[in-house]
Amino acid sequence: MKNNKIFLIVFAVGILFLSSVSWAEEPVIIGLQAPITGDYAIEGQMAKQCVEIAAELINQEGGINGRPVEIIVADDVSNPKDSALAAQKLISQKVTAVIGSYGSSVTEPAADLYERNKMVSVGYGCTAVRLTMSKDRKYFFRTCGRDDSQGQFFAKFAVETMGWKRIAIMHDNQTYGKGVAEETLKYLEPYLQEGKAEVVYYDAVTPKEKDYSAAITKLRETQPDVWYYTAYYPEAGLLVRQGREAGITIPFVGSNAVPNDDFVKIAGIEYAKGTLMTQEPMPQDIDSPISKVFLEAYRAKFGDIPSSPWPIYAADGLFAIVQAIKNANSTQSEDIANALRSMTNAEGVTGNILFTERGDRKDIPYAMYEYNEDGKLQIYQP
Amino acid sequence: MGIFFEQLLNGLTIGSFYALVALGYSMVYGVMKLINFAHGDLFAFGSYVGYTILVWGSGRITQIFGIWGGMAVTLLITFITVAITGILVEKAAYRPVYPAGRLPLVVSALGMSIFIQNGIMAVWGPRFQAYPSEVVPSAAFDFFGIHITLLKVFILLFSFFLMAVIYYIVEKTTFGAAVRAAALDRETATMLGIDIRKVIFFVFALGPALGGMAGVMNGMYYRSIQFNMGWNYGLKAFTATILGGIGNIPGAMIGGLLLGIMESLFAGYFPGGGAWKDGFIFIVLILVLIWRPTGLIGEKIAEKV
Repeated sequence: MKNNKIFLIVFAVGILFLSSVSWAEEPVIIGLQAPITGDYAIEGQMAKQCVEIAAELINQEGGINGRPVEIIVADDVSNPKDSALAAQKLISQKVTAVIGSYGSSVTEPAADLYERNKMVSVGYGCTAVRLTMSKDRKYFFRTCGRDDSQGQFFAKFAVETMGWKRIAIMHDNQTYGKGVAEETLKYLEPYLQEGKAEVVYYDAVTPKEKDYSAAITKLRETQPDVWYYTAYYPEAGLLVRQGREAGITIPFVGSNAVPNDDFVKIAGIEYAKGTLMTQEPMPQDIDSPISKVFLEAYRAKFGDIPSSPWPIYAADGLFAIVQAIKNANSTQSEDIANALRSMTNAEGVTGNILFTERGDRKDIPYAMYEYNEDGKLQIYQP
Repeated sequence: MGIFFEQLLNGLTIGSFYALVALGYSMVYGVMKLINFAHGDLFAFGSYVGYTILVWGSGRITQIFGIWGGMAVTLLITFITVAITGILVEKAAYRPVYPAGRLPLVVSALGMSIFIQNGIMAVWGPRFQAYPSEVVPSAAFDFFGIHITLLKVFILLFSFFLMAVIYYIVEKTTFGAAVRAAALDRETATMLGIDIRKVIFFVFALGPALGGMAGVMNGMYYRSIQFNMGWNYGLKAFTATILGGIGNIPGAMIGGLLLGIMESLFAGYFPGGGAWKDGFIFIVLILVLIWRPTGLIGEKIAEKV
């Protein structure tokens, strides 16, 4: 009996002690839907790390009006089917808002579900134009840019800066890859009419395969000046390797889903070296007040900075949502959505976060990057 | 002409991977009348075993045995490891459900496939792994303007060698006759004194082991491996098996090689062929099955009464 009393006292003191260091207010729970496993695992894992760091920074500053931010992760396995399941999971857990996901065809079914359940979702690596333009989505936003800006950037860079005449475009028939390819073609059109350039190859490869030698041999025979691959990194790595081994020496340009460490690993440094990327600026090249603090915290915890441009957009998704909740002083989806559209004071890793009426991010710059001999990205100097 | 030859060679290389994996499907199906869905994942498992051996101690195997010797040792260890795994899979997932009939067996095979795939993911992680370039031979030569790596030649020769050995064992030896007899009619074979357990042991050790070695060569050839890679190869190899005639050893080989060559030539010569390749393959498969329901060289199966 006595023992029990002592135990009770110890227990009570313990509870008191615990509650004094924990938060007095209930946490705000934000969902992160990302490809933690599957083909795009590296992009999901880095996004998770970035969102964790962002949540830590926000909580150090006092959270959302004294309420801490908590993250729940749902893995969408990099495919549309599991994406819907992941979305269902977050919806049933009644999170306040969602960040995610990576990959346009993965994001689309989830965005529909969130829309139907009136839940704000902020995509971080889904750039297909149709996500915001094909339907009126009231609750969908994205912190990343759009494929048409990228296509425009490549078309101008290829013809005006580099003077490439014979252009080969290869995509993978998925929402994102085909989107960039079509947009590029659209912006190349004026040059084609003037006879300044020519599209000598325009075809798709099947994703998730290992052998692309047939497509590569075909591409080589069209004798292009440049090879623009507009889809994801697993295939890009194999294509570069098999292309170089088949004797293709022309510049390889990847779109913004190509650059990351796994691309270098698959292609091998010897072949990744010198490949070019049309992409958003890398985290280390962005000059914003938060980016330095953020990258320091990231490096301290994970050893290196993120190897692709995407994960920091996931962090910015969180910064944007948190600021919107603060501005609206509400956790109702409708208020958050309205606040996201109108806010001008959200500082993220990639600078000020502004959204258009349709939920697109305003003012995303594109740049040409190059892999150096250490397998790191640097801004390309023609 | 050079291009055609190059595409043909590419197709043969892909085809030999398909053929090696297809052999395992066909052997198991022949004896057990079971589609071993876990087979593709054993192929992936072999690839990871090879990867682990080669990167172990930052390439110690390669340092001791040299680059080709290291490869041989790796193939041998993988052969043994995957053979043992294949037997364990049979013991754990198939033997207990034999009496229940064929349907539970197929479900059990699917379960095993998921189990192995997730096991690989749990051990090696969900991200891509790459065979380091120091452990893969990179020598190459030019032949009539075609760039050919020695590794490709090795893969082709070694695959054909393996197929020849299997063909010899199954078609020319007494034990092979026992395997064929068991495939033809298991009950009669048992009554005639064939130890059916030995035959099952043989197909479940050798089939996966061949797939495992194909996995290592696949990893060396393409460098990148992933935990779910087995699914795609399993599907293609299964198609090859059906194309050639399931349960038939030469059929699996021919089916695999043919599939690889068709894929390569179609993607290379048909406009927009890259994207329609798989569709084309299945159209061919359907046409073949209409013309010959038992596959290209499958034998006519008489209904048992």
